[in-house]
Order: sequence, then structure tokens, then C-alpha cells
Amino acid sequence: MLAFFHTIAARIRGLLRPNDLESDFDQEMAAHLQMAEEDGLRRGLTIEEARRTARVQLGGVTQLRESWRATRGVPWLDGFALDARLGFRMLRRSWGLTLAGGLAMTIVITIAAVAFVFLDEFMGRTAPPLDEGERVVALQSWDVQAHRRRDVSRRDLERWVATLQSVQDLGGFQTIERRLAVEGRPAEWVRIAEITASGFRLARVPPILGRWIAEGDEHAGAAPVVMIGYEVWQSRFASDPAVIGQTVRLGEILHTVVGVMPEGFAFPVNHRFWIPLRSDPSGSLKAAPEGAVFARLAPGVSLDGAQAELTATGLLPPATRAATADARRPRVVPYTFAFTDDVERGELAWQQRIILLLVALLLVPPCLNIAILVYARTVTRQEEFAARYALGASRGRIVVQLCVEVLVLSSAAGIMALVLTRPILTQIGEIIRRVPQLDGSLPFWVDFGFSWRAALFVAGLSVLAALIAGLIPALQATGRVLPTALRSLNSRTGIPLGATWTALIVAQVALALAALPSTTELAWGHLRPAVLGPGFAASEFLTARLAVDPQRVPAAEADLPAFTSRVRTLQAEVIRQIEAETGVSAVTFAAALPGAEPTTLIEMDEEILGGRRVRHYVRANQVDRTFFAVFDVAALAGRTFDGRDFGATRTAIVDQTFVRQVVGDHNALGRRIRPVPAPGTEAGPWYEIVGVVPDRPANTSQGRMYVPSLAGGRGPAPPIELTLHAGADPAAMSRRLQEIGTNLDPTLRLDNVRRLNEVYGETQMSSNLTSYGLATVTLSVLLLSAVGLYALMSFTVTRRRREIGIRMALGARPGRMLASIFARALWQIAAGVAVGITAALLLHQKLNIEVEGGWHIAGILPAAALFIMIIGLLSASGPARRAVRVDPTETLRDG
Amino acid sequence: MSDAQSSILQGTLDLIVLKTLEQLGPLHGYGIARRIEQVGERALIVNQGTVYLCLVRLVQKKWIKAEWGVSENNRKAKFYTLTKAGRKQLQAETANWERIAGMIGRVLRPATGS
Repeated sequence: MLAFFHTIAARIRGLLRPNDLESDFDQEMAAHLQMAEEDGLRRGLTIEEARRTARVQLGGVTQLRESWRATRGVPWLDGFALDARLGFRMLRRSWGLTLAGGLAMTIVITIAAVAFVFLDEFMGRTAPPLDEGERVVALQSWDVQAHRRRDVSRRDLERWVATLQSVQDLGGFQTIERRLAVEGRPAEWVRIAEITASGFRLARVPPILGRWIAEGDEHAGAAPVVMIGYEVWQSRFASDPAVIGQTVRLGEILHTVVGVMPEGFAFPVNHRFWIPLRSDPSGSLKAAPEGAVFARLAPGVSLDGAQAELTATGLLPPATRAATADARRPRVVPYTFAFTDDVERGELAWQQRIILLLVALLLVPPCLNIAILVYARTVTRQEEFAARYALGASRGRIVVQLCVEVLVLSSAAGIMALVLTRPILTQIGEIIRRVPQLDGSLPFWVDFGFSWRAALFVAGLSVLAALIAGLIPALQATGRVLPTALRSLNSRTGIPLGATWTALIVAQVALALAALPSTTELAWGHLRPAVLGPGFAASEFLTARLAVDPQRVPAAEADLPAFTSRVRTLQAEVIRQIEAETGVSAVTFAAALPGAEPTTLIEMDEEILGGRRVRHYVRANQVDRTFFAVFDVAALAGRTFDGRDFGATRTAIVDQTFVRQVVGDHNALGRRIRPVPAPGTEAGPWYEIVGVVPDRPANTSQGRMYVPSLAGGRGPAPPIELTLHAGADPAAMSRRLQEIGTNLDPTLRLDNVRRLNEVYGETQMSSNLTSYGLATVTLSVLLLSAVGLYALMSFTVTRRRREIGIRMALGARPGRMLASIFARALWQIAAGVAVGITAALLLHQKLNIEVEGGWHIAGILPAAALFIMIIGLLSASGPARRAVRVDPTETLRDG
Repeated sequence: MSDAQSSILQGTLDLIVLKTLEQLGPLHGYGIARRIEQVGERALIVNQGTVYLCLVRLVQKKWIKAEWGVSENNRKAKFYTLTKAGRKQLQAETANWERIAGMIGRVLRPATGS
């Protein structure tokens, strides 16, 4: 056994330094032959005889060298290296295949790799990057009926802390937002983790300055303290080593800085400020992502063990609901899992697998295309394989060679994909960071950098691509080539492209045509806003967010009206003061910025009455009465909002796209609409359409409805978007707005001041990414189809060269000749186009392109069909020209 | 291969090379091949190159080791030496060979045995 391992090790060493060993072998053979020659001379042979005898006795240096190489190295690996070299050579020669196939593979593998890293980071990672992170868990209150995580009551948290033995360092956090005032810097709103002291013990990361939050800080009467992150220490305290003991104002309360955490530390999610979670038995901790209960599994305890104890401990019945209706169950999950979607653990793994499988399946169409190209090329190389077959190479060996050739291509595509994945993920990361809840940074366990898992996944995809694109044609071609190998060496009889390949080419043309109209409309739909612009001078508008500290919203229903009234007065005062600012000509507010309205499902009353419950996705916004005037929008029919609409009546205004999409040719005025209620909830009130306005902005694909602000709303707690028609500098205006807000009420939050065109630019980023992605995929499908047709035509010409030569020699006219040669290829294009048109029509019918964010383009299908035909004919034109230029005498001589 | 020459049974060349090195001490490839030819009266191996393949295998198994040295004719040559592991292997292989050879002998000449 030891000798076996020594042999393996020696062979691997042999692989690593082949040149040294070769030179060693040469010297040894030279010494051997010299000694043998000297012996021969001593026995009385002539010098020639001695030399010849020495070589005969040795048995042929070349054969010996081959056997020796096989003995000292790893023969299959040597064979692989040779195949790879041949593969590189073939890639250089078949540059059409290399470019089209490589591009298609790169695109698909890149998409798959991006999806993999994304899923792996957000869904697949179970252990945060903490000491023994795999043992850090979250304890949840899971509603088994609604399939949702619920808030955890503080009583449950305290009970779990006191009783659970299977976990340690149990605690909780919730995210709050407070205005941070540091001396010498403008006040700003920051996200803060209210966290138990146990969180820092659990994270096991010591502070770089000061101390952690302690249990004593959690008591109601304790002095308020705050811990800050390294980044905060650098940016807001200029890395002041004497920061410990300084005070900062968070909201209205002064907090003493007691510790600075090291760079990158952001536990529990992406936090940079931590204050103690004060004891509050009547409260509850928000469900993830805004809060969570965390713990570390005790030594020797498994997740199942902890779950068993937690199940036995249970949850206390809710204070306001009957215990019998309680569908909540406590559950323990890996920490990061708590922040993914509302799913069971097994479900998540399945979701992930299914998405990855679907993504991997994207490889199939381009790989089948490449397989056609490889097959056509393989058949034209039959003489090479016949020669190898005759020299003793097995069919398996030739199949491996062909697969390795494609593997070289797919590996190059894989490497390109890995290179491209990084910048794409960086872009996606930028887009995700803009999600308001993330406040500019991703969860601390998400890392879009290089990962070995992603590299392995890409390697696996490259091998899979090589198998699909290489193995099928290799088996097909060698199955046909080899039995007739030697015969075909002389006879030059062609090997036909079988019915399978014909079907594939038809399918390929059909696929390209079927996808082309929808992808073009989708791509245009996403790109259109950037190309057309919003239709008004968005740069003249400044936007700001006006919010009230949610902590100030009274919990008791009875206190709400008074609070709402006060906030409305404040809002009116804010608007009045802003209007008084120099340079500001008008101010309005809405629930969402124009163009960023949430999508909602609505229904119309006539349709219900008519027995047809037709629903539509539209964008909905709540606006104040000055909204349309500020954006210079006049009613095309009916009227805009006035004083009547902000009372008890329910009215709505819709835009032109809404009318086109929802109402059609009918008169929109007077018709009633309402949001479709969620299952199990009561339907909301009906709104009567009182006006139709132009699209604002004019570049979005969905219709819009406006309802008067606060109509039906619970209160003013959700932030509203202020829009100022002003030429002011955003930075200066931001400071001024902060001042206005603080002077009026410290709990008012007036920030996020940006120009409207900048907001549009940022929201457009993901749309641009989508449309570029769609355009790239579509182009690669078209390119592959074109190259596939080109290969088919080239192959046909090569195969029938001799026949063409004879017929040309007999006086056949080039036109007839072409028609005869390419009848099959033209038939294939025509069949593909016919199937493609049918598929495109079906797809278009099934897919509501405007709901998916696309934009209807009139006449796109015939244009796409014409385009595909032109591509097909252009692909055929090169080989066609070659065919009619065939020199009869040359082909007859060759034959 | 002529019928008069018998090809060496699989694995026995290893045994012969090990034995040669045990008897003669450090020796180069040519010397080993010549020695086997002498002992086997040229009937044992077809060509000397086979010895080198055997030597590579034995070095890989660490039963022998190779070092460059100077031959009796003052020429640079690679010398092979039996290692401790090789010596143990030789003993085991010899015992095994004798057991099999004795058994085959008894099968082929049953009368003389009784």
C-alpha cells in the first residue's frame, strides 16, 4: 500500500517537472548506448555494427520513450493536455464558432454565476462571518397559517432568556431611526440598533476603544449610552481617540459614547450605532429584518435540540387575541436565514435549487446551437478522425478529444464569466443599497467578492456546457464516421446531417423569432424612459422626504385624531415656510414621487356588474391639491382636484395610459375603480374618476391613478414626498430644510433632498441593466442562429462540392444550381420562421408585455420575421458564393 | 519475440532486478541488463529497454534509489541501489516466488513427488 502511494506521489512529481525528467532520460539512454557500443567494439565489431547492435538490443529509443513517459507520468492527463492544445488550435481555426459560441456561453454562464452568487449570499449563507458563526441562531415567532414571521413579545424574550438551556447569549435587537446631532456637524437621521448587551458577547468582537454595552445599561434608570462603529468614529468624530465619554444627541436624548467597534463590524445586520435595548415588558421586538431574537447554540446542542426545548417552552398567548386563534409557533433557524423571505427552511433550499436549475437550463439552447456547429465541423474533419481510428485510437478516445476541444471553449467562457460577474454584482449591490431599509449598506454577511463556491459552480457549468455541446455531436459524428472511416478516406462520400439536426436548426430559427418581438419590447420598455425622458424639466424640481418619528405616533387609537391634526398643521406650516424661501416657486406633496408610484391591482365596477372581473395593474399615488399645478398638468377631460375632493367624497384622476390600458375606447369619466382587496380583507371604497390628465412622467409603461392625499389613510405616519419647483442648490436647500424641520418640531424629519432628474437616473439604473442584459441575450441568440445557418450552408457546399463541379462542368446555370443546393437550407429557414411566428403570437398572447415592463411596438412581429429571414439569407450568401465559384476541373481532379 | 525466448512473467523482472542489485550492489541500467542477459543466457528478456521501465517503477515505489555517478569506464552513468524497503520487498517476493514455483513444480511432476 505504501508503495502505491509512493508511486502516485512520484507520478505527480513527474507531471510537475517533465523537462528535468526528459533530460535525465536522454542522458541515461546516451550513457547506455555508449557503454553498449564500447562493449561491441571490445567484442570485435566495427563501429557501425556496434552502434546498430546497441540500438537493436535497447529496443528502439522512441518506443521506449513513449512507454517510459506512460510509466513516469499520468497518461490520461498527458492526453488531456494534448487534447487541450488541439482544442486551442481548433478554436483559432474555427473563429466563427469560437466567437459566437464563446459569446453565447459567456452570457449564459455570467447570468448563472450572478444568480448563484446572489442566491448564495442572500439565501444560501447560513453562517454569518462571526466566530463559530454556524452556531449563531435566530429565534422566531412563526405564524404557521399566514406563513409569516411575527413580532416577538418582550415577555417571551425575557422568559426565553431566563429558561432556555440549549442556547447562550440570548438577546434581541430592533432598528430605530433617530436624529443624530454631533457638535459641529449638521444633524442627520441615522439607523440605530437597540440591542441587548448579550449581542456583543455573542458576536465575540472586542471594541477597539472603550467597552461594550453592559447589562446595567439596559435598566430603565441607567444613563443613556451609545456605541459607535469604526466608520462613524472616522467620519463624524475625526478618529478622535478621546471620543469615549463624549456625548451625542440621538433624538432628544443625550447619549454618552462608551465604545467604538472595529472596522467592518455591523452586527446585527448593517448597523453602525448601538444603544441598549431598555427593559419593556409590555413591548415587542419587530420581526426581521427590522428586529430579531438571536442566540448561540450551547456547546454540544444541535439546532434540532434547541428547537425541541423552544417548542416545549412555547410562546405566551397574545394579550389582545384569543389563545385558540393563535397560529404562532416558536422556531429556531440559522441566524442569516431569519432575514431571508418568509419561508420554511426546506422551502428555501428548494427554491434556491429550482432557481439554479432553471438558470443552468438557460445553457441548453446556446449549447445545442453550438452542438450543431461542432457536429458540422466534426463531420468535415472525418478524415482526421479516420486516420486516428486507423492508427488505433478508440472511439472513446476521439469522443474525449472532441469534448475536451469544446471544454476549452466553455472554460474560456467560464473564466470570462467570472471576470464579468464582479462588476455586474457591484452594480446590483449599488441598486440594492438604495433600498431605503438598507440605508446604504448591505447586511454584514453579504459579500459579493470572489468566492470559491461561485468558481466551482462556474467550473461545473463549463463542464456541463462542454458535455451538452461536445458529447452529443461527438457521439453522433463518431458513430457515423468511424465504421465507414477508411472507406470515406478515399471515396469522399459525404455524411449527411440527420433529421435531428434539421429539427434543431428549425427550432433555432423559430426560437430566435419567437423570442425576438417580446425581448425587443421588454428591452425597449426598460430603456424607453431613459431615451424619452420624463417629458418635463425634472432638473427644475427638488424633492425631499418629510416624515414624523414613528415612535411619536400614539399607540392608542383615541389619541390618533389629535396627533393627525397636529401633524397636518405641521405639514402645512413646513410647506408655507418652504414656499417663503427664495427661489422656491411652488411646493406640493404626494405619497410617492411621480414615476416611483407603487403598483397596485385595481378593478372596475362595470366589469364586475357585467360578470367579468377584469383586473389591472396600475400605479397609484396620493397627491395634494396643488400637485397637478406644480407639475404644470392640465386636465384633458373632466377636472383636477379641488377643495371638494379632500373631504368625504372618493374621487380619482387617471392618466392617458390608464385610459388606454383600462378603459379602452370608453369614456373614463364617471366610472368607478377600487383597489382589489387582499384575500380575507374587506374591499375598500370605490373611487369615481373625475378627470383625465396627460402622463407625468411621460415615459413609463403603466397607467396611473391619483387619489386625494390622506383619503382613507390611517394617519400621517408614512413619509410623504415633497416636491419643490426650485432652482436652489440641493445641498444648501437640504441644510435649510433641516433647519425648518428642527425649528418647527425636532421629531420632524425633512431630508433626502435631491433633484428629481437624479432620482430618475438612479431608478433607471436597474432598468438599464435589464435592457442591456435582454439586448445581449437576444443578440447572442441571433448571432448563434446566423452562425448555425452559415455552418449548415458551408457544410452543404463542402459535402456536395464534387457534384457541384460536375453539374457546373455540364453547363448548369448558377441560379438553378443555388436553388438546388440550398433548397433544404431555405426550407429550414422558412419552416423555422413559420413555427417562430406561431410561437411569437402565442407568447405575445400569454405574456402581458406592458405588465412586465415592456412597451408595445406596432408591427414588431413581421419586422422580426423579415429580420430573421435576412439574417438567414445573409448567413447563406457567403457559402453560396463559394459554391458557384467551384472550379469543376479542380473538384474532379480531387475526386 | 522468438519462441526460444520466454517472456518474463509479469512482475518477475522486478524480482530479478532487485536480486541483481542485492548481489552486485549499486549498478547502472546497462550493467543490470547485461547481468540479466548473462544469468538468463539471453533467454529472459527481449530488449534491454524493458529494464529501464522496470527501474522507473521500482524507483517510484522507493524500493531502489537512483544517483548519478561515474562508471568503471569513467563515464557518467545513473547508478541504482537497493533501499531498505526494497530489501524487505525482495525477501517477501523471493519467498512468494519459491512457494509458487514449488507448487507449480509439484503440479507438473506429480510422480517424482510421491
